[in-house]
Amino acid sequence: MIALRGKTTASTLAAPLPHSVWKLADSGTLDTQRRSRAFLLDGGCAAPPSFNLYLARSTDPRDDLPANTVRLPPELDYLSGGDVLSVSEDGERIRVLWRHRSRQNSILLTERCNHYCLMCSQPPKTANDDRLLDEAFELMRLLPRDTMEIGFTGGEPTLYGTELVDLLRLCTNLHPEAEVHVLSNGRRFADPEYAAAWASIDNPNLMVGIPIYGAEPARHDYVVQAEGAFNETVRGIVNLAQLKQRVELRVVLHRQTAPALPEIAEFIARNLPFVDQVALMGLEMIGLARANIPALWIDPTEYADELVEAVTLLDRSHVHTMVYNHQLCLIPRSVWPFAVRSISDWKNEYHPECLRCSVKDDCGGFFFSAKYKMSDKISAIEDGQAEPALLALGAD
Amino acid sequence: MIERSVHFDASGHSLDAVQRAAYRLSDRLSCEISKRDDTIEATLFLAEDAEDPEALIAEFRNEVLDQALRERIRTETSDIRNLVLALAFSKTGLTDTDV
Amino acid sequence: MSRFREPTAFQAPNADWQLLPFRFERIDERILLTNLVGEHLFLSGDEFQLLADGALPADSPLVRKLRAKHVIREGSDDLPVELLALKARTRYRRLAEFTSLHIFVASLRCEHSCPYCQVSRQSSDREAYDMSAETAALALDSVFRSPSSNIKIEFQGGEPLLNFELIEEVVERAEARNESEQRNLGFVIATNLALLDKRVIDFCRAHGVYISTSLDGPADLHNKNRPRPGRNSWELATEGIQRVREELGVDRVSALMTTTRSSLDRVREIVDCYVEQGLTSLFLRPLSPYGFAIKTKSFDAYDVDRWLPFYEEGLDYIIELNSQGTPMVEQYAAIALKKMLTNDDPGYVDLTSPAGIGIGAIVYNYDGDVYASDEGRMLAEMGDTTFRLGNLHRDSYEEIMLSDALLGPLEESFTGSAPMCTDCAFEPYCGADPTYHHATAGDYLGRKPNSGFCRRNMAIFKLLLDRYESDPSTRALFTTWATH
Repeated sequence: MIALRGKTTASTLAAPLPHSVWKLADSGTLDTQRRSRAFLLDGGCAAPPSFNLYLARSTDPRDDLPANTVRLPPELDYLSGGDVLSVSEDGERIRVLWRHRSRQNSILLTERCNHYCLMCSQPPKTANDDRLLDEAFELMRLLPRDTMEIGFTGGEPTLYGTELVDLLRLCTNLHPEAEVHVLSNGRRFADPEYAAAWASIDNPNLMVGIPIYGAEPARHDYVVQAEGAFNETVRGIVNLAQLKQRVELRVVLHRQTAPALPEIAEFIARNLPFVDQVALMGLEMIGLARANIPALWIDPTEYADELVEAVTLLDRSHVHTMVYNHQLCLIPRSVWPFAVRSISDWKNEYHPECLRCSVKDDCGGFFFSAKYKMSDKISAIEDGQAEPALLALGAD
Repeated sequence: MIERSVHFDASGHSLDAVQRAAYRLSDRLSCEISKRDDTIEATLFLAEDAEDPEALIAEFRNEVLDQALRERIRTETSDIRNLVLALAFSKTGLTDTDV
Repeated sequence: MSRFREPTAFQAPNADWQLLPFRFERIDERILLTNLVGEHLFLSGDEFQLLADGALPADSPLVRKLRAKHVIREGSDDLPVELLALKARTRYRRLAEFTSLHIFVASLRCEHSCPYCQVSRQSSDREAYDMSAETAALALDSVFRSPSSNIKIEFQGGEPLLNFELIEEVVERAEARNESEQRNLGFVIATNLALLDKRVIDFCRAHGVYISTSLDGPADLHNKNRPRPGRNSWELATEGIQRVREELGVDRVSALMTTTRSSLDRVREIVDCYVEQGLTSLFLRPLSPYGFAIKTKSFDAYDVDRWLPFYEEGLDYIIELNSQGTPMVEQYAAIALKKMLTNDDPGYVDLTSPAGIGIGAIVYNYDGDVYASDEGRMLAEMGDTTFRLGNLHRDSYEEIMLSDALLGPLEESFTGSAPMCTDCAFEPYCGADPTYHHATAGDYLGRKPNSGFCRRNMAIFKLLLDRYESDPSTRALFTTWATH
């Protein structure tokens, strides 16, 4: 599990830092800019001049740090040139905003939210955190031109209204080739003006990922703990589609949603067939999900039939469908073509059974948080094992 | 010809429902319908060699009930039906897209 | 966690359920419901009673099912109305496209003499029965008057290959014209393949022309239906099919079968024959009550009740083949399933309301006469010109398309206002067939309780729904057919 935040263990800062967002340069960095750059010291070598901030690893042998330097805790020693950090004014707290080498960066825009999902992995807070949005603007300016994927999440990013649109417009202008993905409950798009503002970003690589947890209001509203959510979300999806905006629907699978998966799939296929893709997602056992295990936990093998039915229906209705965060040994083999190896590298773990599994490299493994609750049916797939077909389907 | 009369209370059954029921079953029976005061009289004519006359007459009675229900649904939903179709073909509210 | 509210907090507070438009039919012990756009669900007798009595609780699996399928809504809920409108709009979208299938009767000559054939058997040397270049030019004008973005020109006859020069000319002229028109233009030749030669093949390859042919089943069955002087029809058909598959491509030829009395006990053999020929699509058609069929009494050789077991056995056999890995689609089922399981319109002119006559498909006869449908042309061959809309040499496009001969049957056959159809739960899947009803009952509407068309279609819809509901793998197969 890779740490994304930490506290520095020493500091030689003479004054508060002038700003919070810093891009790391190291001895391998060729870029000569100094604006917003911090230098990552390398072992015993001298600090190059004119940086406003230096970072030393915990293993750096120097006892006397150069001026304007902070010492990283061991869990942040992995940082390297190209990474982008948010550093508190006093130099004590560091948040990693962007890891240059990772393909799974996720930019948190706010922890505020107008939902309170039973399984929320990012429990909502109410305090004003506009600074996260400000940092995101700055981050856009610091990312390299060849950045391929940029993901924004929350909380609920659309709470920022048109400021979110402004951010995405800046992102589009500075990174026109990047795939941009925003997670949102979609309710704000029920307002046609907001949907139009979103469409005016005019980025063909922009997609919004919107969760849907039922085929009618009662189930969905219960899962997200907000009345009227289903109606606004679906209306928002329709508005976006009419403006030809790309939409992904996400269904997190747990005890409250998995039994209804075929109905949800049917509802999507019949009412929202124009969506660009559907992602069926395994539950991450963090945040509020841990507190709600009794209401949420279901062994994936228990919903195997529903999963096959839903995936089959959507796929044959020409809706691009993907299954995330499910270990391969827990899903029917007919679903494997739809399984994506998707667990973020900073969350990835494996089970002892996996050591001798022949398909380990194709499987996403587990969330680190799975240690709190996982299926007891995890078992290695032997090479040449007979088809463990949980549901035999006709020829495709 | 087997001839049987079935009576319906006009306050609880509409003439329309009885007529629609008769129409639906007209491949197996023919019918004369008259209304007098509070009673609708349906005289049914079945072929002599009709397979199960009692069952057919029972089916007619049930069909009248079903038609009464259909009538109620039609009445209750006629406004919504018009609204949906008007909305489907309106230029406002739904832009002309592939949706 | 006390901060989480129970499901009851998110249920409709007053159980203030309002009905959305729906229709129902009793099928055995269950009740089938279809909503305004043809989405279906089955209820038990008790469940239906709760709905009928207005006694639904605030929440229950039944309530959720009814809400998801837009059969009920909570009083103030507008989303179901908006979604129904969107779906309805999608269903009717094709109407505005107007006529997309244009049938050119290239020649009335034919060297077969099939007993059920509606086409008059003019012998091969009578040039007076070929379409002229002049007539074809006028027909092309009519074709491009249609606003449809998809245009399919289909050559029929008699045997259209007997006038192949005309086909070449029409294709080339249409393509030239399409440079500016920019429609999605396609061509089909409906032929018995006896006259397929290198010239025809090369032309079809060069212009992307599809071939449609008849294959009634095994040789003895096919040849009995299609007597021909000289070489037998089945050999020519199957050789032709293989030749087209090899020289043009496996997807460039499709076959239809016609059912006669002799077919009824042999559906598996017929399907097997199609599989042997490498075909992946089959249309289990009923015999239509037109033309020589009535004259030679082969129409009353069977009725719908005898045809239905044939269809059911064929469909089940095809489903079984698919489960074993042999791909085969039953076309009529695929068309019906598209209407049942999606909001799309398959554009099949014989199963649509308003009827597909004229506004979906139109026929330009060899002599310039314009007919509302192929069946209408066949009736004219027998002396009934009810469905003749005019003549290309004499009448303008407006006069033809706005004639009473077209508008009358369109209006009168509309199922939305037809007795029994208005109440029928299958109406969203079904269609108006004014030609059939005119031929069999004497008016455009017919009397549905006595209509073979109605009886056949209701039985097919029930059969498809039964198979759909009963088995997940059939459900998956049907979904594939519906979305093809």
